[in-house]
Amino acid sequence: MESNQISEYQDPSVEKVLTKKDLNKMVWRSLLLQSSFNYERMQGGGWTYGLIPGLKKIHKNDHDLSMALNDHLQFFNTHPFLVTFIQGITLAMEENKESRDTIRGIKVATMGPLGGIGDALFWLTLLPITAGIGAALASQGNIAGPILFLVAFNIVHFGLRFGLMHYGYNTGTNAIVTLKENTKKISRAASIVGLTVIGALVASYINFTLTLNVKAGDITFNLQEGVLDAIMPKLLPLLYTFFCFWMLKKGKSPLLLILITVLVGVLGRLVGVV
Amino acid sequence: MLVQAILIGLWAGIAGVDLFNGLTHIHRPLVTGAVVGLILGDFQTGLIAGATLELVWAGMVPLAGAQPPNVVIGGIIGTAFAILSKQDASVAVGVAVPFAVAVQACITFIFTAFSPVMHKMDAYAAKADTKGIDRLSYYEPMFLFVFYFIISFLPIFLGADKAQGLVEMLPTWLIGGLSVAGGIMPAVGFAMLMKIMFKVSYAAFFVIGFVASAYGGMDILAVALIGGAIAAYDYYSGKGDGEDSGGKKAIVTQDVVEEDYSNGI
Repeated sequence: MESNQISEYQDPSVEKVLTKKDLNKMVWRSLLLQSSFNYERMQGGGWTYGLIPGLKKIHKNDHDLSMALNDHLQFFNTHPFLVTFIQGITLAMEENKESRDTIRGIKVATMGPLGGIGDALFWLTLLPITAGIGAALASQGNIAGPILFLVAFNIVHFGLRFGLMHYGYNTGTNAIVTLKENTKKISRAASIVGLTVIGALVASYINFTLTLNVKAGDITFNLQEGVLDAIMPKLLPLLYTFFCFWMLKKGKSPLLLILITVLVGVLGRLVGVV
Repeated sequence: MLVQAILIGLWAGIAGVDLFNGLTHIHRPLVTGAVVGLILGDFQTGLIAGATLELVWAGMVPLAGAQPPNVVIGGIIGTAFAILSKQDASVAVGVAVPFAVAVQACITFIFTAFSPVMHKMDAYAAKADTKGIDRLSYYEPMFLFVFYFIISFLPIFLGADKAQGLVEMLPTWLIGGLSVAGGIMPAVGFAMLMKIMFKVSYAAFFVIGFVASAYGGMDILAVALIGGAIAAYDYYSGKGDGEDSGGKKAIVTQDVVEEDYSNGI
């Protein structure tokens, strides 16, 4: 890469130029992290877009600015809700005129773990919980469902976006150490809540019952009520979820499972079992 | 119908952009269902269909960068179908999911096709032209807006009056079967969540949640509070630290988790 040959700053003077207002402006820009998402460099373009106001203020000559822009346009991918944390750290390092290698290294080192924590916190915990509660209300025809969902979700969402930008900026490189120490503990706590909720969702939101009646001599009894419910309530939803889980573990695609589920429903009804 | 189709198209455009940029989550079926209900004049049905579709998509989130069936189109077309054809929400699931899979394939293609934009950005970076990079950043969201508009406008506009007739033509076992499949479908999403999160050492928490709901009949919020209480106790009693210094087995499972998280979005 060309940038490696000319990776020295023309203007290495360190000066505090970023204000709280600048940081907040870049939080709003972080909403477009995936604006130019593509499979070559994923969020690289949007990540650069988010940093531009800060980079322009820090690097006053075109050579240094061009070098920084070129660096940030490379492959980048992290969780879109936690990105401001990396933005904060990166901006602190840029302002401190750290070497390009350090900035690149820290950036890449943080995007992976934050991606994992973000998945656990948002997609697997916050979203299922808020959407689950919202859907429970909405399914009774209550307008509070979607409203409660949006309010609860976005308080956490925007609170973290703004909070993490300033936290990341203030702690600078020290934050990396803290993050590395706590990654496992945070993931673990999030997993515990998440799995407890998933257990309840499996029991309450999957509708899978048999309608088949079995004739034993003169007595007719319903297989679902007579047998399955006696063993365990919600047995079929539990078994089917674990069947899907097992298939996914074996590397089968979710699309195949969707197809199988449609076939189970349609064929089951055709035969008269479900 | 033209006005309603346009309104739904515009709403799908906004929600489609939110799916990747903004992420305020107005694109979830829980919200889009209610809005589509409002546009089509049947708010209650929209609300309920949205809630049903929301649960189907509960686990279908972009984990580790893998794109699930398109939640925006699934929610909007599913709800519109439920209202216009006067069918049960779970039948709508059977219609919405295959449609959403097809749309997501198109989106994957769009994301591939946008790769050359990066090289244009490189050229701007070499000239330190930040305005140029800013401008390029707005192209893809605008393109997606138009894409979502067309994809949701056309079926509503062309097939609104036909939706009902189409459903009446279908045999009852197919409608009934799709409805059954719609009821089971959330299992796929939950299994996807479990694939990422489930470890033998966490099995106990899944059991607690399942039993509290299946036998105890507890609400989700109540179960979430129980889970939160356990997690808080676990966090502050330092159990999470112990896992590293535990037996060999614990270390092995920890490694697996790290691997799962390493390439997440």
